[in-house]
Amino acid sequence: MSKMPENEKKKQKIKKLKATARMREIMLGYYLQGRQAERISWVTSGAPVEFLYAMDVYPVYPENHGALIGASKMGPHFASYAEAKGFSQDLCSYARSDLGCIFVGTSPIGGLPRPDFLFACNNICNTVVKWYEVLSRIFDVPIFLLDIPFVRKELKESYIDYVEGQLYEFINFLEKTYDAEFEEKKFKEVLRLSIEGVKSYGEVLLMGKHKPSPLICFDAFLNMAPIVCLRGTEAPLVFYKEMKEELEDRVKNGIYAVDNEKYRLLWDNIPVWYRMRWFSEFFIERNTCLVADTYTNAWTALVDLKKKNPIRSLAETYIAIYLNVGLDLMVEKINRLIDLFDVDGVVIHSNRSCKPYSFGQYEIQKMLNIPSVVIEADMTDSRTFSESQIENRLEAFLETL
Amino acid sequence: MKKVGYLCTFTPKEMIWAAGFLPVRILADNQPVSLANSHIQSYSCSQARGSLERLLKGDLDLYGVVFTRSCDTLMRLADIWEKNSDMRVYNLEFPTKINNSTKNFFKKELLDFKSTLEEWTGREIGPKGLIDSIRLYNRLEELLARIFRISPDYELITRAETESPKKIVEEAEKRLKEIEKRRGNKKTVLVTGSVCPFPEVMQFISDAGFHIVDDLCTGTRFFTYEGIENDKAFNETNIDSAIEFLATKYFVKAPCPTKNYEKDRRYKYVIEKAKDVDAVIFLLLKFCEPHFFDYPQLREKLEAMGKRTLLLELEFPVSEGQLRTRIEAFYETVSEG
Repeated sequence: MSKMPENEKKKQKIKKLKATARMREIMLGYYLQGRQAERISWVTSGAPVEFLYAMDVYPVYPENHGALIGASKMGPHFASYAEAKGFSQDLCSYARSDLGCIFVGTSPIGGLPRPDFLFACNNICNTVVKWYEVLSRIFDVPIFLLDIPFVRKELKESYIDYVEGQLYEFINFLEKTYDAEFEEKKFKEVLRLSIEGVKSYGEVLLMGKHKPSPLICFDAFLNMAPIVCLRGTEAPLVFYKEMKEELEDRVKNGIYAVDNEKYRLLWDNIPVWYRMRWFSEFFIERNTCLVADTYTNAWTALVDLKKKNPIRSLAETYIAIYLNVGLDLMVEKINRLIDLFDVDGVVIHSNRSCKPYSFGQYEIQKMLNIPSVVIEADMTDSRTFSESQIENRLEAFLETL
Repeated sequence: MKKVGYLCTFTPKEMIWAAGFLPVRILADNQPVSLANSHIQSYSCSQARGSLERLLKGDLDLYGVVFTRSCDTLMRLADIWEKNSDMRVYNLEFPTKINNSTKNFFKKELLDFKSTLEEWTGREIGPKGLIDSIRLYNRLEELLARIFRISPDYELITRAETESPKKIVEEAEKRLKEIEKRRGNKKTVLVTGSVCPFPEVMQFISDAGFHIVDDLCTGTRFFTYEGIENDKAFNETNIDSAIEFLATKYFVKAPCPTKNYEKDRRYKYVIEKAKDVDAVIFLLLKFCEPHFFDYPQLREKLEAMGKRTLLLELEFPVSEGQLRTRIEAFYETVSEG
């Protein structure tokens, strides 16, 4: 590792991964597929999509679409159409931007295809329940709500019974909707692909363990769309295998995300999509690498097929995800990431749009054993972003490390 | 009598009373928030922030607090509360999805809740105690419903939420005899929304000249259960019939936007309530997602029905002057037809 003279410090550039270009192609293909799909459902990011793929239902992810709008810096533009209809600026900005796209009839990718039904799972928030109720009235289609109890302290057997029962109801719902049979054999194959995909995505994230790290967590954010939208198909397996190889090559050739890596940080919450570049450059210039995050790691929970029947195991996995557990359990998971990635501090994004992710962060901060800083922003709506305030906070924080 | 606090009207008070505690609803006061600011973000609603402030100020003398996962804010508030107090904190997982297939899960949750209360007191909750408690609350709710049909009494409801149900039953019986059924030619307004624990705010609406039809969380949604079963036919030797009754009762509770109902029951409920009124006021707490998601489509439908609507977005402490002016101006436009 060569030492850089002070005056060249600011010249460090973001090192783009080839994988990101490949991801864009894959996602373009995914979106195009939606135009021809015969069976379409809109689905929340934490829902068990495996059931949809097993029934050849094309899953549309409004949240991913929201992130895409945010990254295109068009959040305020599309949100304003929803606000004109009376949707408050205090509501989730993914919901506002997506609804705005429906009202104005377009989006950065030309709008989303009309659903046959809506599949909402409240393991990530109760916002999606309300958001999907609005969609249900707009499109006049039914909602299937997979209701997941919150695990504040312990995951009770009664919770698993409850969710498992609903999953069987969902199978019936799918069979009735399409007048077709749910094939167990196909479902098992989808589940196998899902598990493999999650594993290979997890291996990519683990590359951040390397010191110095070959990737920034923003690389993981940018490239998470396949594991969210295409989980249960072949695409993520191939894609993340290639991405991992690229990162291994970097390590082999001594190329790291940040030259002269001095500090290693953990990011908490959904990214600030419209400022990813700004954040990346800010940290790179200060020889600081965000090596991991709590968000992408939420997609690495594995379904264990050995112990129980697959549906019960799936129920358990989808109940226990990061956002659906109490603060003590969240801190346990954060501490595990801190140890695993050997980080020096935590950057906590207090995200106006995401109450379940953000409320409790002040308590989490007190429970952590390493330094942390809270910055106030929003994932998609740039109107609340205060650059100077955030810059000052982060500068002051890095000085304490 | 020791007190057990709760924030959401989906909390089965009957069980708490049967365990020998006084169930007390925790409501924000009309004071500025300062201590709570280092525990929860400013984009949480005034009810959450204000209640937490009261805890931190040492304003609440409670043995325990019961949370239900009604909204994302309450879901997280349970832990924040526990980290900052010595009170016992319990979360009852009331389903979000309300239909026949989810009721069994709720019954299990009721039994778990019962066991927890029994642990707290070291005493068993017997069928007789629970049935008596159910009958007491049913009586209270029936009286409040009759009073509200004549004229909403927000001072009484606030006390019903925080004082002994026995005492309020006696008072409500007396009150019912006193009040006259007189509405005259007043314009009627449906006031729909979240938490507003300040009778003085509701008084502004009456003072402006309106007769109020209520759909508030601190109003009719506290005591309205649609098509409640007969509570006379209990099996007094077995707890099951009482649990079954409670599960059914809370599933037919006046619909709330935090729940997902079959056939869009909440939306239709508001439209039905608005049928015969002259106007509708949305009295919503700023940052309350469940209500604000429903608002635009409800407003659209109501306006198509020819109703004038007004949105009042509340934060505590309430800025009274401004609120009064807006309500008075709204009354003017409504009475001009």
